[in-house]
Amino acid sequence: MELSDSVAKGLQTLADPAYLGLHHFTALIEVAFRSLLSSRADGVFDHPDLKIIDQALLKHCHVAATTFILEAVKQNADKSTISSCLEEVKFDTERSDAFYTAYQKNKTSLENLLSSIDGCPPHVTDASWRLDYCIKNGHVHKVNQPSYLISFSTQNGENGATSSEVNFSCTLEQLQDLVAKLKDAGKTMERASQL
Amino acid sequence: MEEVDRILIHSLRQTGTDIDDDVQSIKQFSSELIVEAVVRCLRVIDPTLGNGLSPSLPPGMSARFRVGMSLAQACQDLGYKGESGYQTFLYSNEPEIRSLLMFLVEKLPRESAEALDQPAGKSALLQKAIAAQIKTQLALPWLPPSCRLSLHCKTQSSGPCHSFHAMQLSLPYSLKAPTKKQAKGRCNFVKEYWREYLLPVTSQPSHHASVPASLLENHASELSAAQEWESEWNSQGLLSRLTPEEYCSRKRARLQKRIEEQLRAATQPRPDTHSTTRSTSDLTDLLNSFGGTTTGVDILAKGTRFTHSEKFTFTQEPEKAAQQMAAAASILPSSHQSEEDLKAKQEVEISALQEQLQQLSVQMEEVGGDIRQLTVSIHQVSDELKRRELSNSEKEDTVRVKKQTINLLPDAENNLVKLQSLVEASAKRVVYLASQWEKHRAPLIDEHRRLKELCSNREMESSRKLCEIKDLHDKIRQSAEEAKKKESLYKQLIAEYDTLPKDVSRSAYTMRILEIISNIKKQKEEITKILSDTKELQKEINGLTGKLDRTFAVTDELVFKDAKKDESVRKSYKYLAALHENCTQLIQTIEDTGTIMREIRDLEEQIETEHGKKTVSNLEKILEDYKAIRQENSALAAKIREGQV
Repeated sequence: MELSDSVAKGLQTLADPAYLGLHHFTALIEVAFRSLLSSRADGVFDHPDLKIIDQALLKHCHVAATTFILEAVKQNADKSTISSCLEEVKFDTERSDAFYTAYQKNKTSLENLLSSIDGCPPHVTDASWRLDYCIKNGHVHKVNQPSYLISFSTQNGENGATSSEVNFSCTLEQLQDLVAKLKDAGKTMERASQL
Repeated sequence: MEEVDRILIHSLRQTGTDIDDDVQSIKQFSSELIVEAVVRCLRVIDPTLGNGLSPSLPPGMSARFRVGMSLAQACQDLGYKGESGYQTFLYSNEPEIRSLLMFLVEKLPRESAEALDQPAGKSALLQKAIAAQIKTQLALPWLPPSCRLSLHCKTQSSGPCHSFHAMQLSLPYSLKAPTKKQAKGRCNFVKEYWREYLLPVTSQPSHHASVPASLLENHASELSAAQEWESEWNSQGLLSRLTPEEYCSRKRARLQKRIEEQLRAATQPRPDTHSTTRSTSDLTDLLNSFGGTTTGVDILAKGTRFTHSEKFTFTQEPEKAAQQMAAAASILPSSHQSEEDLKAKQEVEISALQEQLQQLSVQMEEVGGDIRQLTVSIHQVSDELKRRELSNSEKEDTVRVKKQTINLLPDAENNLVKLQSLVEASAKRVVYLASQWEKHRAPLIDEHRRLKELCSNREMESSRKLCEIKDLHDKIRQSAEEAKKKESLYKQLIAEYDTLPKDVSRSAYTMRILEIISNIKKQKEEITKILSDTKELQKEINGLTGKLDRTFAVTDELVFKDAKKDESVRKSYKYLAALHENCTQLIQTIEDTGTIMREIRDLEEQIETEHGKKTVSNLEKILEDYKAIRQENSALAAKIREGQV
């Protein structure tokens, strides 16, 4: 995991007992996780322990900590990677353990946060169908053809979960083709899993 | 044999042979399976040899026969000592196939062990991870959305999404390093801003959703900038022999100069329209400010640009505003007039003003042209002036010389002598000075040469050191890369080791091998014991026969001597001879029985092996195949006949 100079410097400050005591450190780490996860923008540094620290320093440390957390989650870093990385910026074992426990606690929600940065197509959640039999229409006196009306109800992830419907009609052959293609897709997935 | 078969089947599976799970021993191998296994092994051992062979048996009998022949030939080529032919594959018997497969499996290259040393490529790892992920997701049952737990939410429903949207962040950096002295005042202000007013980064973006995106983007851009600088410094900066700061400032100056040139070239005053002249004057002004602050810090330069633009807007705004105010004031009293009047009036006013404007601009242009002409003429005039002054001073000099000669003329001879002596003295002085100069010059030149040499030496030294530094940099990078590679390999191997099944432990295998070895030792001991026993017995038998022979000879002689004298003794001699003969016969019979017994055992063994060869079924198969071949042949013949007809 690569860190830029400014982040490394911020983490070094964070690791330095001369600037931050251990309980200040844990408070700041907690604040960093919370500020990433909660959407409440105001009052990030309202914690009473953090009032006494130089605010500029605090803000720098906060930037470094949040960036480091996001990078770690992005790379799916395990304990050894994180601890070696923190060791490089002079964290002692106590602090890196404290960081790791907090990281472990918040990892899934952070993963969700990062995976939500995505533009995804709508998901099919349900399907219903109806078989119609057309005897004649306005132009032809005798048609006598069956047709399927398919309706997919979909869920669109973008802008919250809104559900909509996709309707289409098809002949038996087209439906068979669709089913065959879907089966093919499923089989391909199975084959890919047996690598 | 079970053990051997299991190992064989395992290694055959590894070569890609599709062996069913219920096949447990070589006995269950069908002809198709044998052919496939052998071909797969051949392909692994020697691709050129194996690629010509198909792993599946063809339906036609003669083609099958050919495949068998070619397989046998290939095995012979690899050095298989045992007997092999088409019958080995088509009409298999267990021991032959086993020995053939053992030979092939032993020949398999042990590449898998070496392949593990290389770290698997990133793509392979990624594919593995993807496969594992798909497997876990496939294992989960699909649930309708209303029944989903949070466990499924991640994979089966999309959840709220938003696109990647990064925002510029303002970050409190270079906190502990107020680097430049001239920036100290500014730094204090900035620091105060950081301390008092700067929002924490997570509150800066307008949407909370874009916080992670902005932070990641910011970090990535910082990283890439650092990387770019690193590569540039290593490729060019190091060779320029400057400190990084100097290199930076020089590069900045160069870039600014280029930008300035470009801008100047683009903004050559073209008095086409009013607006362009205004903008060009603005730009040139900007350029001047730009040039003036080239030595300053970039942010300062930015600041001056802003102040300039500010100045422009604000110095011009008041005039305009005053004009507008005046216009408004003139309009205000007549507000009770009808709107049309007002409009007409306004239009008239506008046209008048436009006219005025045009007039003014025309005037401006004219005046500008005049000014340009005048400046050109001023230049010309000043040049002329300079030239005149120069010629003037020259003339004054000549006048002075002539004046002096005229003064000297009355007492010409004396003055001539004086002048000559003066000339001589000055010549002497010149010579003296030249010699003096030479005296001083030689050591100075030496010194100069020495210093030059020193300088060049230093330069060489420094370039050598530069090369070394570069080499070191390269080495460092290489070692870092290698270390990274090794680390990833180590991690990968550990992961692989963790996934490997633990129950098939090494110790069990070694234990079993040791057991087998001790068994073999025991058997060997027994064999040697039995052998020595047999030898002893043989010896005893030999001794006994010898003793018997000797005793018989002695007895025979004694009894023969006496037999001449006594009739009863002769009878006994006869009995003795008969006894001896009968006994030898008996021994012979016993020996014969032994050999026959041995033969019987041999034959029994042979029967066993023949039983193992599945002769009956194989014969039936051969008969069938023979029929098939005949049928094929007759069909072919019929075809030929048809063709001829």
